[in-house]
Amino acid sequence: MGNRVRNISAIAGKEMRVYFGSPIAWVMMGLFALIFGYFYVAYVDLVASAAMRAQFGGGPVKQNVNNDLIRPLLQNASVIILFLVPMVTMRTYSEEKRSGTIELLLTSPITDLDIVLGKFFGAIGLYLGLLAVTAVYVGMLFLYSRPEITPLISGYLGLLLLGGCFVAIGLFVSSLTKNQMVAGVGTFVVLLLLWIINWMADSAGPWLGEIMRYLSITEHFDDFGKGVIDTKHLVFYLSVIVFGLFLTLKSVDSERWRG
Amino acid sequence: MIEVQHLTKRYGPFTAVDDVSFRVEKGEILGFLGPNGAGKTTTMRVLTGYMPATDGKAIVAGFDLFEKPIEAKERIGYLPETPPLYPEMTVREYLNFCARLRLGQLSKAERQQRVETAMRKTHVDDMANRHCGKLSKGYKQRVGLSQALLHDPEVLILDEPTAGLDPKQIMETRDLIRGLGGDHTIILSTHILPEVAQTCHRVVIINKGRVVAVDTPENLTHQLKGSATLYVQVEADGDAGAALAAVPGVRVVTVADQHARMTGFEIEAEPNVDVRREVARAVVDRGWGLLELRPNRLSLEEIFLQLTTEEQRDQAAATVVDAPATQEVANG
Repeated sequence: MGNRVRNISAIAGKEMRVYFGSPIAWVMMGLFALIFGYFYVAYVDLVASAAMRAQFGGGPVKQNVNNDLIRPLLQNASVIILFLVPMVTMRTYSEEKRSGTIELLLTSPITDLDIVLGKFFGAIGLYLGLLAVTAVYVGMLFLYSRPEITPLISGYLGLLLLGGCFVAIGLFVSSLTKNQMVAGVGTFVVLLLLWIINWMADSAGPWLGEIMRYLSITEHFDDFGKGVIDTKHLVFYLSVIVFGLFLTLKSVDSERWRG
Repeated sequence: MIEVQHLTKRYGPFTAVDDVSFRVEKGEILGFLGPNGAGKTTTMRVLTGYMPATDGKAIVAGFDLFEKPIEAKERIGYLPETPPLYPEMTVREYLNFCARLRLGQLSKAERQQRVETAMRKTHVDDMANRHCGKLSKGYKQRVGLSQALLHDPEVLILDEPTAGLDPKQIMETRDLIRGLGGDHTIILSTHILPEVAQTCHRVVIINKGRVVAVDTPENLTHQLKGSATLYVQVEADGDAGAALAAVPGVRVVTVADQHARMTGFEIEAEPNVDVRREVARAVVDRGWGLLELRPNRLSLEEIFLQLTTEEQRDQAAATVVDAPATQEVANG
């Protein structure tokens, strides 16, 4: 067990080192800050002008920072993440296969599971960096208002789980190809499909529609933003993560056989 | 130390390694020789646990690679054909990472110590803070070697360790490998034949996935043609060819070259019969001049070509035989 933790952290550390040693991480955090910042200003402006109107109208100001600001912001963050995570994960396996460094990993005295988990946590490390960018913006709200803490925490937990799913799927797609671009675009398409699968749910018939709704990744995110942590959603996200990692493991294993 | 039994590796219908068996004793340096696509890299990849074999067994340092892969891998150092470097990392960072993978049980200070030692051994310490992506091919190769040596493994598997090095570096690397033999058991593959003669104790020649010869470089050069041939140069008055052919044990005598009264003969003896003394006596007793007498050794290049092209020649012959038949059909 001690070995396992050591090996996983060695791989995760290397992944982080590669992300932050190249422009990837910095460019991504910069882009994320820019887009998230734009949404932030837009929503703050919206809330502020609504407050202004309410004041001039003489009516009572009924505003909730959590509901009117933080929830839609986190909702938007999840959309940006959909675009960014494929760029984080696209190189994880593809690049190692292309450059031959996969031989170093697969001939080291560690298991394939150690490698998969190490890569997963390495990508999650960068993802946490992205979330930290949003935390700066959200933190500023505390200077001028008193947001409730619980929905904030559950919202971030939701984002973390959502990101975990995206990363697990991205790892799997990356393990299928030597080509980074193919891995990136492939991941993006899969994530997008999982995102919009519920759009057709109403016309898909009773039970198929139900399945489509269940598979939709957004459907499960909503409650987290409201401050509700439902086991149903936890189980869904964790299953997707485990399943994605399992597929990655199988893909790496079959790659060994095919050579 | 390394035992390979009936190893077979198929990729779909293609057989890359076909029933290969050999042993490497502790401290031995084994050269792996063969043309491109002969199955050298595939064999090495199976031996390092990178990929499983379709059939057969491989035991490295006492551990079966298919049953106890982790234990076996702990005792192997591997330099793949392309050095597995991360261009974003500096040489030191890279080796520290490799040390974490292989020597996780040691303290950080001890690991750093190992990294410094490995860098000095392979002469890359002057590039310790350079990014791997910015190194020359020679340095990349040596950083890869450094990585393979890091944990002082019992078994070293080196896929073309001197590829891309300049002549001075090649010499240094060969010296290094020779120095490592004895403590370490080494398998190295190469295209360069003199390298095998200089560094290896034994040679496995592999072609189209099959082992065609296993022997010491000396033995291979000495006696491969079945019967060894001698080269004799004589200064004779009479018919030297007939006199030599009359020596017991001599099978065939052919004239190799002739300058005025000096004639060079190539003598093929019966298998495993040394006719050198008799040949010398036959010449000297007649009062002729014996100018040269030496075993006609094949160079390793010739042996290699002979062994690896035999099959192709057979195939070529077969197609020649087939050709008229097909033509007849076409004409008919």
